[in-house]
Amino acid sequence: MKSDKIHVDTLVVGGGIAGMQASLDLANQGHQVALVEHSPSIGGMMIGLSKVFPTLDCCSCITTPKMAATAHHENIQLLTYCEVQSVTRNDDGFSVQVIQKPRYVIEDNCTGCRSCELVCPLDLPDVENEFGRTAHRVIYVPFTTAVPQKAIIDIDSCIFCGKCIKACPADCIDFTQTPQTLRVEARTIILATGFKVTPYDAKKEYGAGNLRNVIDAMMMERLLAPTGPYGRVLRPSDGKLPDSIAYVQCAGSRDETLGVPYCSRVCCMYAIKQAMLISGALPMADVTIYYMDIRTFGKGYEQFYQNAKAMGIEFVKGKVGRIVEDEDQNPIVRVELIDDNSRVAENKHDLVVLSVGMLPGYDTQPIYDVATAKDGFVQIPDSNVAPTVTTQEGIFATGTATGPMDIVDSIITAGAVAAEASAYMHLHSGSPAAPAAD
Amino acid sequence: MTTQDRVERKKRNEMLTNLRKQHPERVKISQAKLKEQRSIRKTLQQVLKTKPHTIPQLAEATGLPAHQVLWYISIMKKYGKVVETGLDEDYEYYLYGLTRETE
Repeated sequence: MKSDKIHVDTLVVGGGIAGMQASLDLANQGHQVALVEHSPSIGGMMIGLSKVFPTLDCCSCITTPKMAATAHHENIQLLTYCEVQSVTRNDDGFSVQVIQKPRYVIEDNCTGCRSCELVCPLDLPDVENEFGRTAHRVIYVPFTTAVPQKAIIDIDSCIFCGKCIKACPADCIDFTQTPQTLRVEARTIILATGFKVTPYDAKKEYGAGNLRNVIDAMMMERLLAPTGPYGRVLRPSDGKLPDSIAYVQCAGSRDETLGVPYCSRVCCMYAIKQAMLISGALPMADVTIYYMDIRTFGKGYEQFYQNAKAMGIEFVKGKVGRIVEDEDQNPIVRVELIDDNSRVAENKHDLVVLSVGMLPGYDTQPIYDVATAKDGFVQIPDSNVAPTVTTQEGIFATGTATGPMDIVDSIITAGAVAAEASAYMHLHSGSPAAPAAD
Repeated sequence: MTTQDRVERKKRNEMLTNLRKQHPERVKISQAKLKEQRSIRKTLQQVLKTKPHTIPQLAEATGLPAHQVLWYISIMKKYGKVVETGLDEDYEYYLYGLTRETE
C-alpha cells in the first residue's frame, strides 16, 4: 500500500534499463529510492527488444531479472503508472508531486491471473507494446513479463459489461478509482527518461507510413521476439514469410530534413544484429543493408559486422531516395549505388525495415528546469568530466536521456549516475553511503 | 444463489447501468466495435471449421483485406482460438486452424 507522502534519498524518473540500474546501485548502497514510471510496467524499451548486440543474448533474459530485482528490493519503492506533475526545491532537496493514474483494478489484490482478460469481449490494438500489430483486451496485463504483473482497464473503451467483475477471483475491479496525488520528498533526482524513435512515417519519400510492408526497426524487434505479435517474422500485409528483406540505414538520423543531424549510434549495430537473427529465423531469405557508412565503434562490434558479411548478408553502399510498392504490395527501393558510379537501381523486396534513429523521450525543461541541448537531449555542461551532472544542482541524468547510446553505455552511465548522486548526498549531509568514521 | 448474492448482483448491475449512462457516447462506439469484431471472428471461425487456411485464402474467402485477417488471426492465436498447423505447399504462408477447444 502506498502512502500519500514518501521520503526517499533519490527519486529516479524512468523505469527503463538505466533507471532500474541506477535505482539498484543506489539501493544496494543503502539509499532509499522511489522509482517513477509512466507506463503500467517497468522495463522500458529494452524489454521489448529481441536480443542484444554483439553477444546475441536474449533481451528478456537480461531485463526480466533486473525488473524483478528492482521491484523486490527493500530500499526501492516502485511507482508505476505515475506521472511527475511538479518539482519544488526546498532546504532538504526536492518536493515532487506525483499523480498516480487509476488502473481501475485494486493493485494490492490483483494477482495477474488474467481471468478478467480472457473473458473481456473487446479487442483493442496494442499500440504501446506491439505497434498495433496485434491487440489486447480492454482489461489486460500489459505483457507476459510485466512488473508489476497487474491488470489495467482502458476505461475509455470499456462497455461496462461486468464480465471482468464476475471472472475476477480476488474482487479487484474498481470502477470508482480516480487519479491520486502522492508527494515524494527526495534529496536528489535522477532523470532516466529514455528515448523515442524518429517516426517511421516522417519521410514521404519512404512512403510516409502508408506502405504496409515498410516497417521500422522497433517493429522488426517485436517480429523477431518470441513473444511478438505473430511469434515469427511475417510481413504485415498478408502474413507471407519474407524471402527478401532490406534495411535502409540513416532513415531517421543524419537527416537535416527531419531535424536530426546527428548519428544515433545504434542503428548500424541493431540492423546488423537483426539481419543475423533473420538469417537464423529465415535461412532462405536474402538480407540487404543499404548504408552510407557502417559505424561499429564498440568492443567486439567490428568483428560482429565482419561475421554478418561472412554469413552472406549483403551490404550495399548507397543512398535510398524513394520507396514505392507494386500491385502486390512489394516495396521497391530506388537507390543510388555509390560503389557503382552512382548508378540508380530499383530493387524489389518483400519487406523493408527503416533504421530509425533516436529522439529525446521527454522534455525535462518545463518540470525540472533542466536545460536541454540543441538536439533536445538533457544538457550536460561538462560531459568530459561529469557526464551525468545537469544544469540543476541535485538533479542528475543517465542513459539515453542525455543522448543516443546503446544498452552497454546506458548501464555504464547508470552506475556513474548512482555514484554521482551518492557522492552528492554524502557531501551535502550524512547519508547511508557515508564511510564509517576513522 | 443466496439472498445476499442476489442483492450484490443487483447492486453491481445498477452500478454498471449507471456507468453506461454516464458515458453513453464512448460506450456506443465501443459496442459498435464489438459487434463488428464478433461478426468478423464468427466469419473467420466458420471458414476455418472446414480446413486450415492461409491468410490470403482467408482474405479471399471472407472478402476482408489480408492485413485485417492477419490482425484477427494474431489475436485469436494469442487467446488460444487458433493454431498454426503447418506451411502451405509453396512454403510461403502458414496455415491456421481452430484449436480443439474452439472447434
